[in-house]
Amino acid sequence: MSAGGTSTDGTSVGGLLARRLLQLPLIVLAVYTVTFLLAWSIPGNPLENPEGRRPPAEIAEAMQKQYKLDDPVAFYFDYLGKASGVSWALGKHPVPFDLGPSLKQPDWSVNEILGTGLPVSISLGLAAMLIALSIGLVAGTIGGLRPGTTPDYLTQLLAIVGISLPSFVIGSAILMFFAVKLRAPAIGWGGETVFESLVRASFPAFTLSLPFAAYISRLVRFGMIEEMSSDYIRTARAKGLPRWKVALKHALRNAFLPVLSYLGPATAVALTGSFVVEKVFAVPGVGQHFVDGVLGKDITLVMGVVLVYSTLMVVLNLAVDVLYRFVDPRLG
Amino acid sequence: MRLLLPFLLLVAALVATIALDRPLPPADLVVIERSDCYTLDPQRMSYQHELRRARVIYETLVNLRASDCTIVPGVAERWESSDDGRTWTFHLRDDARWSNGDPVTSRDFAYAWRRALLPDTAADYSALFFEIKGGRAFFEKRKALLKAFAEKAKNGEANSGDLEQLQRDTMLAFEEGVGIKTPDDRTLVVHLETPLAYFLDICAFPPFAPVHRDTVERFVSIDPKTGGYVQRHGWTKPGEIVTNGAYTPTVWRYKRDMRLERNPHYWNPDAVMADSIECRTIENPNTGVLAFESGAADWLTDLGPEYKTEMLAERRAYLERFRADVDAGLARGADLDDVVGALPPPGEGERRDVRGFNAFGTDFFSFNCRKTLPGEKFNPFHDARVRRAFALAVDKQQLIDRVTRLGERVSSTLVPPGSIEGYPLVEGLGFDPARAREELKAAGYEDRDGDGVVENERGERFPTVDILYSTASPRYQNLALAMRDMWKRELRVAAECRGKDSKLYKEDLKKGNFMIARGGWYGDYGDPTTWLDLQRSDNGNNDRGYSNPKLDAMLNAARVETDATKRLALLAECELWLFNEEVPLLPICNYVTVYMYDPSRLDGMSGHPRLEQDLSILNRRAPANAAEGAGARNPSEGSR
Repeated sequence: MSAGGTSTDGTSVGGLLARRLLQLPLIVLAVYTVTFLLAWSIPGNPLENPEGRRPPAEIAEAMQKQYKLDDPVAFYFDYLGKASGVSWALGKHPVPFDLGPSLKQPDWSVNEILGTGLPVSISLGLAAMLIALSIGLVAGTIGGLRPGTTPDYLTQLLAIVGISLPSFVIGSAILMFFAVKLRAPAIGWGGETVFESLVRASFPAFTLSLPFAAYISRLVRFGMIEEMSSDYIRTARAKGLPRWKVALKHALRNAFLPVLSYLGPATAVALTGSFVVEKVFAVPGVGQHFVDGVLGKDITLVMGVVLVYSTLMVVLNLAVDVLYRFVDPRLG
Repeated sequence: MRLLLPFLLLVAALVATIALDRPLPPADLVVIERSDCYTLDPQRMSYQHELRRARVIYETLVNLRASDCTIVPGVAERWESSDDGRTWTFHLRDDARWSNGDPVTSRDFAYAWRRALLPDTAADYSALFFEIKGGRAFFEKRKALLKAFAEKAKNGEANSGDLEQLQRDTMLAFEEGVGIKTPDDRTLVVHLETPLAYFLDICAFPPFAPVHRDTVERFVSIDPKTGGYVQRHGWTKPGEIVTNGAYTPTVWRYKRDMRLERNPHYWNPDAVMADSIECRTIENPNTGVLAFESGAADWLTDLGPEYKTEMLAERRAYLERFRADVDAGLARGADLDDVVGALPPPGEGERRDVRGFNAFGTDFFSFNCRKTLPGEKFNPFHDARVRRAFALAVDKQQLIDRVTRLGERVSSTLVPPGSIEGYPLVEGLGFDPARAREELKAAGYEDRDGDGVVENERGERFPTVDILYSTASPRYQNLALAMRDMWKRELRVAAECRGKDSKLYKEDLKKGNFMIARGGWYGDYGDPTTWLDLQRSDNGNNDRGYSNPKLDAMLNAARVETDATKRLALLAECELWLFNEEVPLLPICNYVTVYMYDPSRLDGMSGHPRLEQDLSILNRRAPANAAEGAGARNPSEGSR
């Protein structure tokens, strides 16, 4: 499990929250430092067009100065102060949490880029998790209730396909069929109605959800098999409760717990790891900005994305832990 | 049921985020680009797709008409130049308006051009502004002023008075020293350093567009530590941006889409076709093609490399079937798109919605002309005879037929034929392996011991040729490998290819760490100097390190020639000499740009060799006849 797995030391929710929120800046600072070292060591000059003409030497020099690219140490502290809001708190900078100007896109600050991309990536990630949960729970329950039967084999086969086929293959196939043959809205993002937006989002979300759905279905299947053979279920069955009621009301509830703790890190991965799906479906999320940022050595953009995502990751894991205690009072 | 809670949370969050996304009504014209604009600041832009969009957002003094690349009036309704060609006077039209209703004045131009000349702006094309009298001196002066102030500020001696003095000195230097004068709001006088035959063409180049001073100034502040202007770019965003061209951006979602709507105050609304244009960004070339195929766009500006060869073959098959009709139409003098658009729809294995154009760009490989390689290593390519030998040994037609496979036009010089009015066709070296071996022999290299590799008279082998290419596209790897084999076969030299990621490749180019390297150039303006200046000793893009006073002198002589015909003749002579004697680079072919658009549905695409497209004249065609009524289907309806 991830850093946000289950804590069983019996502290209160409040204590958990306080401890995690204190850890947050330390984790993010470590991530920031490592990313900074990696980003700075990417060879090349972010202010130069990889293809095409270059500006006069005096212009290149002026740009270097403008972005403090001539001094890594100054850049490190300057950026950290502005991004964390410390400079703002000290009255040295007009705005808090300023992730800087993008080096490649002079018209856009990193805050603006994240502001347009993040809602899209979050929607896509949430939709994917929703689909993954639906598929995973249904498939896992079917398989777990009747292990070794044809429905079980079928769902397991689907799970293997979902895990092993790369998303750009599935995505391209979906596009070929739905967008080109059926002319369904599948490329891009948004639409004139909420319905159209949902339809358009469903194709990339489905593609993104498959590996998660597969993993969840396996978790649920194992959980169901184990729970269905446990004593309390046998007692309930002996009391004459119908099989479906026992399965759904009692067994599934316990079989679902491992899924819940998987959900935090999985959602974080769905948010951050969706760049392939974003590229294939032309979804304007953060993933493509991040990849382009790394390729173009757009240091401020890379640092900004990493800072926001690492914060998001810690917060999501925390949210799942809180939720976990709510669903399973034994931990509370 | 507590189990449902995570689900409910997810659904609520999802619906909320999606409902918050603002919908847009369908546009009259939908264009798909491979990348978004990095900036809408005309003084800072340098990419082709940015310049194309800037041409309809901003209007320059004069316009470049896309169909034939002639200069037509823009903000200036008339202009005249002095007899010596050094002074130009532009008379601005009365009714030119910014999108907020303000009149466009000569001061807007002076302000924009001053921005381009300030080192604070770091404009990519500032070198073009150095043609204006006192331009470079002003740039240097401002730099010196800033440096002096920064020194003072560092020692804590600078006060607000110094800061004001710095700005005053800058303004004074501009007003007194730079040849940009505004006698009144309707008149702009420009003094040049030397006569410039193509000055009007440059005036039509988007970096020379005006900006709305009050809007830009709201986003400029002065850094008290350096004294420099800090320019934030909030003013380029919809809601803030004020433009004087045919369109104004109303929505811009980065790397997603930009929506252009008519500028209500544009003086020439009848020349503008679509009321609204949607420019979508789809980075993945595969998805771009699928989006076009699904009917979501009128024009895909850059077809992915995977499809080009096959799709162009399907177009050829289609045109072959109707060869007689096409020939008859062209003989009538009709436009190819009009003819093709009126033909019956393509059948299986045919298509007409793709078209390759020869671009205003030349693909070449650079020879390293420096005396030595890094580390004082011997560089055989310093010798022009060796360069000629290597150029003569390449069979370019074979490279086109077997390697690039886009039917490009082979070139032996830099300037694409037919792209510049009045400039003659100049031929460089062709494929001649026998002469290639003679040139190499004259340079002292022949196979003396019969081991299949050439040696000099001391018996030293020809150094292994280091061929550098960028791995961004397989094209250059394939070209490098094919040429390596040609040189091995024809010249008996050992050669090795070295592929590098585009950033590292660029570094090596700059350091001169190569013998032969992939190059390429697109022209900026309609004059041979946009190509030939590349070989000047002091040119920042002279990756070859080629330096020859004779060439610089020839180009300078052409510069001061005021007779246009004589001037072009001098330049042609220069190019002829350059590519028959000196050969600092090995031209391969002119680039081919492949568009996807259906000529039966879209009108207004220009086939002029400079390949400037004007978004404001692109127009959906009315349905040809009822039977083919689906022909003009609104593309955005198809995607609904």
